[in-house]
Amino acid sequence: MEEQKKMGLQRAVDIYGHRGLRARQLKEEGRKVFGYFCCYPPIELLTALDIVPVRVLGNMDEPVTDADDYLPPVMCIFCRSAFDLGMKAQYNYFDGFIGAHACDGAERTAFIWQNYITSPCNFQLDVPHTTHGPALNFFKEQIALFQKTLEEFCGTQIQPDDLKQAIVLHNRQRALVRELYGMRKPDPPLISGTEMLQVLIAVMSIPVSEGNDLLQAVIDEVTTRANPHEAKRRLLVWGSLIDHTAFTDLIESSGFNIVVEDTAIGTRPFWHDIEITTDPLDGISDHYLNEVLCPRTFRETGSTYQADTDARFYYLKEFAKHWNVDGVFANIIRNCDIHGYEVPVVKDYFSEMGLPVLVIEQDYSTAALETLRTRFEAFAENLDGY
Amino acid sequence: MTENKIKTKKSNKTLQTAREAGHFGKKMLESAIRAQAEGKPIGWSMANWWEGDIIAKAMGMNLVYPENWGAFCASIRRAEPYLEISDGEGFPNTLCGYARNNIGFAKTLKENGYIIPDDAPGGGLAKPIMLLASGAACDARYKWFQSLGRYLGGVPVWMLELPQTGAREFFLPENKANNLKFIVSELKLMIRFLEDLLQCKMDYTKLEAMVDQAFKTLRLAHEVDLLRRSVPSPMVSQDFWSIMIPHFYLPDDPEAYAFYQRVVAEVKNKVDNGIGAIPNEKYRMMFGELPPWHSIGFFDDIAERYGIAMVMESWNYHAPTPMAEEEIDGVSDPLELIARLCYHKYTEYNQAALDFSAAPSYFSAPFLEYAEIYRADGFMAHPLMSCRPATYTLMQTIQRLEEKRLVPGVVVNGDIIDLRVFNLEEAYSKVEAFTETMDHYRELRRKAGMAW
Repeated sequence: MEEQKKMGLQRAVDIYGHRGLRARQLKEEGRKVFGYFCCYPPIELLTALDIVPVRVLGNMDEPVTDADDYLPPVMCIFCRSAFDLGMKAQYNYFDGFIGAHACDGAERTAFIWQNYITSPCNFQLDVPHTTHGPALNFFKEQIALFQKTLEEFCGTQIQPDDLKQAIVLHNRQRALVRELYGMRKPDPPLISGTEMLQVLIAVMSIPVSEGNDLLQAVIDEVTTRANPHEAKRRLLVWGSLIDHTAFTDLIESSGFNIVVEDTAIGTRPFWHDIEITTDPLDGISDHYLNEVLCPRTFRETGSTYQADTDARFYYLKEFAKHWNVDGVFANIIRNCDIHGYEVPVVKDYFSEMGLPVLVIEQDYSTAALETLRTRFEAFAENLDGY
Repeated sequence: MTENKIKTKKSNKTLQTAREAGHFGKKMLESAIRAQAEGKPIGWSMANWWEGDIIAKAMGMNLVYPENWGAFCASIRRAEPYLEISDGEGFPNTLCGYARNNIGFAKTLKENGYIIPDDAPGGGLAKPIMLLASGAACDARYKWFQSLGRYLGGVPVWMLELPQTGAREFFLPENKANNLKFIVSELKLMIRFLEDLLQCKMDYTKLEAMVDQAFKTLRLAHEVDLLRRSVPSPMVSQDFWSIMIPHFYLPDDPEAYAFYQRVVAEVKNKVDNGIGAIPNEKYRMMFGELPPWHSIGFFDDIAERYGIAMVMESWNYHAPTPMAEEEIDGVSDPLELIARLCYHKYTEYNQAALDFSAAPSYFSAPFLEYAEIYRADGFMAHPLMSCRPATYTLMQTIQRLEEKRLVPGVVVNGDIIDLRVFNLEEAYSKVEAFTETMDHYRELRRKAGMAW
């Protein structure tokens, strides 16, 4: 295929622009393809069975229409958009669907998805809310049931060595993504927020080994090319995910370089490796429950407000310091409770660091984006006072 | 935002016992305030389907429920100032109305040196020494308590775990054992936390007695649900939303048990004598989800105008069906009993969820069964602007009821707290038109040979 011969950023752009294309091709070649919601399903198990994992996303460009009869307007519009695409047959190549109790919206959408968009294999993964010892045990048992379900569907068992090999491949991907993040530390960054988003969505849409090749090629390209980016205010994005370059383009044309994203398509799925343990499910369960740092997971409260926020958001200090951040964009997709409750707390936390925060609740629509430009431009100007 | 141009009267509860039920809400608030004066420990708790609150109370904790207090504030239209404070603090105004109400109050409490302001509705909520959060059904119910750290800094939050596995996964052989083991282990951790906090040991004999009492009260509450199957309906939702307080929050309280004995007697008497809650019952409707607490009189009005009896409400506020004897035979450990109760509550409609493709077993699937059991003519969906977890499945419920049960649905938008988003005139218009739809579907059900 001509497209596959392209490598590096252009290949990422192509995959980003045609997200299901490669998975459909692979399905035609006999591979199984599974869709999954959010960053909690352990996709290493899919890889171990030679199943292609594809992350289910929405589309800010596509008005939600078909989902209206099933999901109410007051719910997270990202979830509604993803389901809408499902109802419009844009994910009709899935052999299986993995839902996860990442948040209420994702959980209920996954249930309703399975009621209306049928696939030969489905699994609903319950993710505990805490990291208590019993929660970790329970989560591991859930993953074991998930494994059994997959094995029954595929008619073959996952061998421990195959699973370890899959973990190694995905860890390699995590390491490559982190390496790419490191290339955003210079000023100007070697890779823009838009390019990064294209790469990350691309690797979530293709098999892990192809994703690793793509990442390596992007790293090689970004390292050797003349940096096309100019120095601007350096922005950390925290909160709900961004999955459309129209949004990152808008931000980066309003006086900012996005340098790090604490979101579900940013650092969260990639920041920690899975430990290779004797029983691979130990490492997998620990990683997904303890190391994917989304506010959906309850962390023990500290003895003071400061101790509590430190325990939950300590890593943001590292991001701010090492990526030399000038300001923070708290992105809230309207009706996202998980992040909504954290807004004042996160503002407090960044304020302690001397970092201003722009909070925007937005409607996950490219049609509504341009009105945000003046807010970003004003925010960039205001940073001069800091 | 829409202004309400019609003022409704407060609800006329049809049961004498329902008129008396307000006592239990006041009792919870007053006992916490009294406890504070006496230096006893106070906790704020989320409703948790009898999983953790009984344990905290067995250890001497006086619990109040900010969700319940939020409904009370809304019912007397005193929530708005707190909502505005919450908004001013930077919390999105799309968050749960109960949460915003409580966050606003917590800020005033802090500003008043943790002495309850004199003007707090119902006497307000006394300062807690712990917050008992729950992840069951709704993220807000732990994120909200976590966010109170800004105002109650240092007050620990204990997060109760309640697994929510899927309907298909429920039937996997290991699933039940995994779930029960997890719940019991978490309850043991909670007890250890409380023992450290309160510096006292759990009295398991006392807990056992409280659990036993709770089981008895819940059984009576379920008997009421069984009686409600009668035609005409002996009570309506306006009654239920009052009488649910004692079984939902205080089932371990002997006074709640005595109360439910009176409720059963009153409802049974009406059933035995064919007395309907409303005099001209013409349509039997189910109601999902929480009601507009600020405008409960709306239901009296539609009963009077159109003969609509609200005969059943959402699954989550009802006592579970009693467990099969073999489920609890020989089980004496109160933690195991609690685990089995909660697990049963959250999974008892899994078969219906699969039969009707209406997962999850909570929220959606029960209505598919209720439709026949309660001989429903229609379903009123009340999407809540600020309570999304209860709202997510409403559209699916409408779809599935119409498709699988030939029971139509009508959507009346509103909120539990914020009265500004509830448009009474529009609601009346919709319901009036909907009566014709119910007539039509009644005929369809008759032609399809359905039982009602």
